Amino acid sequence: MNLTPLPAELGLPMVYLVDDEDIVRDAVAWLLRSRRLLSQGYGSAEAFEAALDGDPAVQPGRWPTAPSCLLLDLRMNGMSGLALFERLNGRGLTQGMPVIFLTGHGDVPTAVAAVKQGAFDFVEKPFSNNTLVDRIEQALLASARTISALRDRIRRLRGLDELSEREHDVMRLVAQGLPNKLIANTLHISTRTVEVHRARVFGKLSVASAVELANFLNAARFEQEE
Amino acid sequence: MNPPHEDATALHAVDAGEWLRPRRKRIVLWVALVVLLLAAQALLVTLTVHYRETRMQDAAEANAAAAAGELEQLLAKDLQTMLELPGAASAAPWRARAEQLLVARPELLRFERRDAALKIVDAVDTRARPPLFTQLGRDEAQVETELACAATRRRGGPTYSHSYFVPLRDGMGLEVMDLCVAERENDRVVGFVVASYSLPGLLDQLSVQALAPGYDLSFVEADGARLAHGRMHVGAGIYKASWVINLPGAAMQLRVDSAATRPSLVPDLVTALVIALSLTLFGVVVLLARDVRRRTLAERALADALAFRKAMEDSVVTGLRARDLQGRTTYVNPAFCAMVRFDADELVDRNPPPYWPPEYLREYQQRQDMRLASTPDTHSREVFETTFMRRTGERFPVMVFEAPLLDSAARHTGWMSAVLDLSAQRRVEELARQQQERLQATARLATAGEMASLLSHELNQPLSAIAAYATGSLNMMDALGRGEPPAPDLWPMLHQATQRIAEQADRAGRVIKSVHDFVRRREQAREVVAADALIDAVLPLVRLQARKSQTRIELSLDTPAPRVVCDRAMVEQVLLNLTRNGIQAMQGVTSLSEPVLTLRVQQTHPQWIRVSISDRGPGIDDEIARQLFTPFFTTRNDGMGLGLSVCRTIVEQHGGALEFLNLRDANGTVRGAEFRFTLPAATADAPRAQRAESSAPVTTTP
Repeated sequence: MNLTPLPAELGLPMVYLVDDEDIVRDAVAWLLRSRRLLSQGYGSAEAFEAALDGDPAVQPGRWPTAPSCLLLDLRMNGMSGLALFERLNGRGLTQGMPVIFLTGHGDVPTAVAAVKQGAFDFVEKPFSNNTLVDRIEQALLASARTISALRDRIRRLRGLDELSEREHDVMRLVAQGLPNKLIANTLHISTRTVEVHRARVFGKLSVASAVELANFLNAARFEQEE
Repeated sequence: MNPPHEDATALHAVDAGEWLRPRRKRIVLWVALVVLLLAAQALLVTLTVHYRETRMQDAAEANAAAAAGELEQLLAKDLQTMLELPGAASAAPWRARAEQLLVARPELLRFERRDAALKIVDAVDTRARPPLFTQLGRDEAQVETELACAATRRRGGPTYSHSYFVPLRDGMGLEVMDLCVAERENDRVVGFVVASYSLPGLLDQLSVQALAPGYDLSFVEADGARLAHGRMHVGAGIYKASWVINLPGAAMQLRVDSAATRPSLVPDLVTALVIALSLTLFGVVVLLARDVRRRTLAERALADALAFRKAMEDSVVTGLRARDLQGRTTYVNPAFCAMVRFDADELVDRNPPPYWPPEYLREYQQRQDMRLASTPDTHSREVFETTFMRRTGERFPVMVFEAPLLDSAARHTGWMSAVLDLSAQRRVEELARQQQERLQATARLATAGEMASLLSHELNQPLSAIAAYATGSLNMMDALGRGEPPAPDLWPMLHQATQRIAEQADRAGRVIKSVHDFVRRREQAREVVAADALIDAVLPLVRLQARKSQTRIELSLDTPAPRVVCDRAMVEQVLLNLTRNGIQAMQGVTSLSEPVLTLRVQQTHPQWIRVSISDRGPGIDDEIARQLFTPFFTTRNDGMGLGLSVCRTIVEQHGGALEFLNLRDANGTVRGAEFRFTLPAATADAPRAQRAESSAPVTTTP
């Protein structure tokens, strides 16, 4: 059933389950377990938030490290699912952790609005169980993709810091699209030296072409300006 | 800053100018009339006076002529007598005869006999007067006599002398005239007889004087000097007539002078009459003028009143319509025209009027005939509702207030109606009703929605859990089936899952049971209600809807009204739903002569009351009839499809049954639909102990 295997190097996927009904939590955990998925249940939005706050690893852009997905009941005692979703959004924690809403009768419009705000999907109760699990797996896959992209970028940024001054100059001119000969003339070095620097820059930043390099630099500058 | 004020002034000025012109014209006319009247009256008076003067003058002249004639006759008679006197020769008989004559004729004063030489031979004086020639001798006063005698001698015939004055002893005098007659023998004059006349005496002898008193007779000379006059001395000198008497030898002028003065204006009867008439005429003219003035004022007041009335009729929004006794429209006001969208000249004199809808023509005609045939009480006012048609063909309801129309002599000449357009009011009522209904429906829906939401939440949890456990278990079993290695705690897990499924199924069952309990609690709200009270409660709402589609509601209730045990609010809802369905079923059915909805309540069984609601609509197809009571089934776009299913639920909760059947006529054609339901009757001994479930629903198949 698991069509696209999750990349093992990211760690074990985790499904967070927030529902105020113990029996529903228990049943869904049981179901996930039958599909060999780990899950962790919380009885309320507040409990889940407290758990996040207690974990020092939880930082925007850096968390979660393993593929994760949040199954959130829309209507709960205390803080509602929607309110929790908005708070997580505000903290930038939903990028790597897609949210699937569980809705009861009559909450569909609210759930649709939530999807427009960036929720992954919603599932109406009573749900068709294996469909729900399929959606969860898709969400985990999306989470895994986001996490690896995040890791790539971190790696490249670290590479950018490791460049020597000369390599930096060469990189800038390559990103502008200048041919090697012109770069050599500009920097008053030999074309051969330029080629060596260029190969080293490509290696450190794990890019394959000048275009890819330019894109990465643009994104990085954009991030810095932000 | 004050143009309105200026405007007002200008308006006033124009008004006054237009006012003045006819007024000046009228004054000129009146002056002309008065002047003409004055002239005519002056002329009349003048003519009257002149006529009277002419008559006086004529009378004077006639008197003068009569007097002259008589005088001539008198003189001729005297002459005749004198000629018969005996001749001069025989003295004694002459004297006797002369004396005799003097006695008989008082105007004669003296006779003389003279010889041919004019010497007096003999003389006889009258004895009635003193002798004539005492102051003056005859000798001194006979010039005229001698002239006359000379003329007699010459001509041969008797001759009169000119008159002459003889002074008398008393200082007075007397005008005397002589007559000289010659005595002849063989054509030779032998002597003369002279007679002396007293002129006043002559006048005294005239009978005219006695006949016409008030006239002064006198002899005058040619120069107007008076010689002698009669006994009257009252001549006024205004109406005078002269008459010349020719005598042989002399001529005398006789003058008649009326004592009447000029006719004066006042004392004269005719003139007075004329003046009185004139004054009366003036009075009449003045009265006429005042009358005309009053009429003018009244006319203006009338015109003002008419303008006022017109403005009033034009400004009211109530339509006004007058009809004569033949039913013809004689008058409509603008509001009425606007209401029916016809022009006034399209309405006046039309019978039947164009605003009667063709389908009601006969009914309206009958109503009008009845109305026209009735003899009205002058103060009766009839109020009725009816339907009129606009030019566009649109029908609209109106309220008509009709009262007899009386003319100024209080004769009944027709009918005056005030017509109110009710369509706006109806629209508002209908809107209010719909709003009310929508509100109720929304409230019910909200309640139902809340209930459903609560229920679904309560049931969703256990159902979701059951499904999850079941699916998980199946997943594990499938894995086992595929030959995958089983989890170490497979069997305890499956056991646990199955146990949880059983628990959750039990929980769901409890939820359902609590709903049932809720409905059971509702049954405690039942009370004993008279059927007519139930009907009365819903009738206003039903009528409101019925009026919109001109539907007639027929009620048929046993008396006394049967009493039922029911949840009043619920049963009223059922009644409302079923009647509304019936009314709506008849809408748009063109072949229907008259939409009628019949509501019937009968006691069909000692324990059951049957309520039936039948319409005359097209009935219900079998296909649809099968699904009629299915929840959420509807044939209407705006319907929820809950009406009939809710109705059935309610009725069944009461232990009754809701049924439907198509009504058919003798040919088997569908003539309408009937919904009937049964409700438990209140029994006299235990009205409140009636339990819905105490007996099975009674089937009421016909």
